[in-house]
Amino acid sequence: MKMIFKTALCLMAAVMLAGCERPPIETVQTGFRGTGMEQIYNPRTLAKQASLNAAPAAADAADADGPKAKDVYKNVQVLGDLSVGQFNRHMASITQWVAPEAGCAYCHNVQNFADDDKYTKVVARRMIEMTQKVNQDYKAHVAETGVTCYTCHRGNNIPTQVWTAPKDRLYANSLLGDLAGQNIATKAAGLTSLPFDPFTPYLKDAQPIRVNSDTAMTGAGAHANRASTKQAEHTYSLMVHMSESLGVNCTYCHNTRNFASWEESRPQRVTAWHGIRMARDLNNDYMTPLTDKFPANRLGPKGDVAKVNCSTCHQGAYKPLYGAQMAKDFPELQALAKP
Amino acid sequence: MAEYQNLFTSVQPVGPLHHGVDLPRGDDKRTGEPFLVHLFGRIGNAQIGPVYLGSLGVASLIFGIAAFNIIGFNMLASVDWNPIQLLRQLFWLALEPPPPSYGLSIPPLAQGGWWLVVGFLLTISIMLWWVRTYRRARQLGLGTHVAWAFAAAIWLYLVCGFFRPIMMGSWSEAVPFGIFPHLDWVSAISLRYGNLFYNPFHALSIVFLYGSVLLFAMHGATILAVGRYGGEREIEQIVDRGTASERAALFWRWTMGFNATMESIHRWAWWFAVLCPLVGGVGILLTGTVVDNWYLWSVKHHVVPAYPLGSPIVVDPAILGVKP
Amino acid sequence: MSMLSFERKYRVRGGTIFGGDLFDFWVGPFYVGFFGITTLFFVLTGTTMILWGAAMGPTWNVWQINIAPPDISYGLRFAPMMEGGLWQLITVCAIGSFVSWALREVEICRKLGMGLHVPVAFSMAILAYVSLQVIRPVLMGAWGHAFPYGIYSHLDWVSNTAYQYLHFHYNPWHMIAASLFFATTLALSMHGGLVLSATNPGKGEVVKTPEHEDTFFRDLIGYSVGTLGIHRLGLFLALAAVWFGIVCIVVSGPFWTGAWPEWWGWWLNMPIWRT
Repeated sequence: MKMIFKTALCLMAAVMLAGCERPPIETVQTGFRGTGMEQIYNPRTLAKQASLNAAPAAADAADADGPKAKDVYKNVQVLGDLSVGQFNRHMASITQWVAPEAGCAYCHNVQNFADDDKYTKVVARRMIEMTQKVNQDYKAHVAETGVTCYTCHRGNNIPTQVWTAPKDRLYANSLLGDLAGQNIATKAAGLTSLPFDPFTPYLKDAQPIRVNSDTAMTGAGAHANRASTKQAEHTYSLMVHMSESLGVNCTYCHNTRNFASWEESRPQRVTAWHGIRMARDLNNDYMTPLTDKFPANRLGPKGDVAKVNCSTCHQGAYKPLYGAQMAKDFPELQALAKP
Repeated sequence: MAEYQNLFTSVQPVGPLHHGVDLPRGDDKRTGEPFLVHLFGRIGNAQIGPVYLGSLGVASLIFGIAAFNIIGFNMLASVDWNPIQLLRQLFWLALEPPPPSYGLSIPPLAQGGWWLVVGFLLTISIMLWWVRTYRRARQLGLGTHVAWAFAAAIWLYLVCGFFRPIMMGSWSEAVPFGIFPHLDWVSAISLRYGNLFYNPFHALSIVFLYGSVLLFAMHGATILAVGRYGGEREIEQIVDRGTASERAALFWRWTMGFNATMESIHRWAWWFAVLCPLVGGVGILLTGTVVDNWYLWSVKHHVVPAYPLGSPIVVDPAILGVKP
Repeated sequence: MSMLSFERKYRVRGGTIFGGDLFDFWVGPFYVGFFGITTLFFVLTGTTMILWGAAMGPTWNVWQINIAPPDISYGLRFAPMMEGGLWQLITVCAIGSFVSWALREVEICRKLGMGLHVPVAFSMAILAYVSLQVIRPVLMGAWGHAFPYGIYSHLDWVSNTAYQYLHFHYNPWHMIAASLFFATTLALSMHGGLVLSATNPGKGEVVKTPEHEDTFFRDLIGYSVGTLGIHRLGLFLALAAVWFGIVCIVVSGPFWTGAWPEWWGWWLNMPIWRT
């Protein structure tokens, strides 16, 4: 009996300690000395992450000469101004980025490539426009690095990091046990008890994220800051998501002694501000209108379409693919077509 | 040979067990036959029991157990009545106060109503227990210092769960019942109100918290160090100062230039421990009701240190009218 | 003289670790000893450097004075005075004075025929300081990881260091330490209250006995730890609180670089019940 107890104790200790890391570690100072604003990295974890987030080599550039794709192929609604060579190169790249196993047949009816029968083709067309939108209008977030389909898809039909509205628990309508949208262990909340859906209010709807007052004393009437302590938990949950998605901590953007102050924040916070608006834009203008194009098995438990959040592109890296510049090899993805 | 350090009792003489000082008429009889636990005896008294189960105590336990059960069953329900998930996610689970939309009105049971019920039952339980600590002292002819210390803790509990939510006009401001969730509340209130480290009452409360730990280390160590002179017989030493108290006092006088007495150290102890929740409660009560941003309050009062800022200075994109 | 009524008979020679009779004397109520001299040296030097640092800084406002450690880029090297070197020297003086103080306490204990519990307990606090300012920075490769010397600035360091792990409250060692801090304060209030209640029983009552103290807690909760036990318990709770505080911060960085909530993954993902 005592032996079993001792063994169990040792096993528990081993399991607990197995989660630990070890020195040496890398640190990057992000603020004035002594303020404690630092990024901390485990170089062994980072090396593994780097290898998992490498960009594939781009196909050699195709000849821009010759007839345009929209004149040669039927039903070309986007990328029509590319040459046939460039168009085919792009199609081959998309196949590598989104459907390397299924190949062309993932989107196309291979008897008739022009056919729009498969939903994947309709969705892909819209997503090409979405990619162009990001690269053209959100330079404040993606700068000249830009994105391609690979940034989210990484060789998967469905990006691994997407979100849908969480399903209700089994006895959601009972008299007891209301979760109030939080208080269970979820990956979405980074294993905290914070609200497990910070995405619907902030990355789909435009609920205010800021909670702090800009005055020291409590205001009255119209000047009162009506944000509740509970609201701060929702904001906190979004921030945990952002941090985890980028593999950074709060001091990457903020001096936490005064979260609200832009003066004391780092420029990265402005980039993040634009990122939030971009995510809302993509979810509302591109993803949500595509809902009825998807079959039921591709929708979330509440019937909503998969949407983007920070980790969709970032997947644990402070810049997707650690800043690999894929988009420069695909100028056709840099701008929306002129109407 | 190694010297005895007065940390663990090596020899435990066993005599007749003590059934307690006689209680006055009007009190019930005590419950339970006392017994010894040898392991406890290595550190302190070995005797467990008897206990006084009076009406106040029993009533307090009934209300307390009711509250505990309501919390527990709500937690179990929140994981769809799966006892394995209850154990697995125990630290994450909670009974949550009503959402902000209900203000101070009574919400449906399922949406914070249970929290209000538990708050009520638990508060009754705690109040009954407080009266018990007061009464037991009085019945034994003791002063009521323990009860009044307990009152300071009750003050903080009521500030967090009752007074402040009422002043803020919203039950949602109160603390959820749950391990991690109550810690989330602590972070959230600091985030919302501009960093509680800049709340001077919070800072003072921490001074008393750390100070209490410091004092108990000092006092505990001092008494153990003069154990060979009977230092732990504090009542006798207070009434009739012996060499234990004299050496203890002189240790501190020679070390830091001043000292307490065998009695006054317990006043230092009581006040430091009591001022932690007392002052802390004041700090929480002022948060959101009077002060909305403690960092900015501190700027106003010229206590915030300045650091060199990055270059160029970062500007709020929202005020630039930036169109993404 | 500044002696208490009973003090003279205790002022004997002996108990010194170092220096024999040379420094075995008192100045006012203070015992000197060899380590009193070293304490004086470190305290005066350190304080002078703090004052000089403040003079070189932008303010004399006591709340705003800040003497910061070097940039992380200096690693474990000695930094220029105005770029953190001053901080380094002050830290050396701090450790020197704390250790001197502890050793002086040892000398005083020996002279008074007391156990060494107080300097041993104090050593836990010194360990906490050294862990924060030396051990953890060394494990992380730079003095710049330590906290600055300033009343509010050191709190800014605490805030930012904690948020490096997204939600420091989820650090299990921090949870244990915080619980122990509050438990110590609770126990202190109970002990202080109990002794005072026995010796200040109120109008018309006589001073009570340890049997009354024991009976009070047995009546209340079924157990009384007793007069000796409470001092062992109090010392243990206090030292355990500081110990787990040390563990919780030394682990953060050198042995855990992620968010503290994520640490709990091992529990949630155990094969017996992972979802």
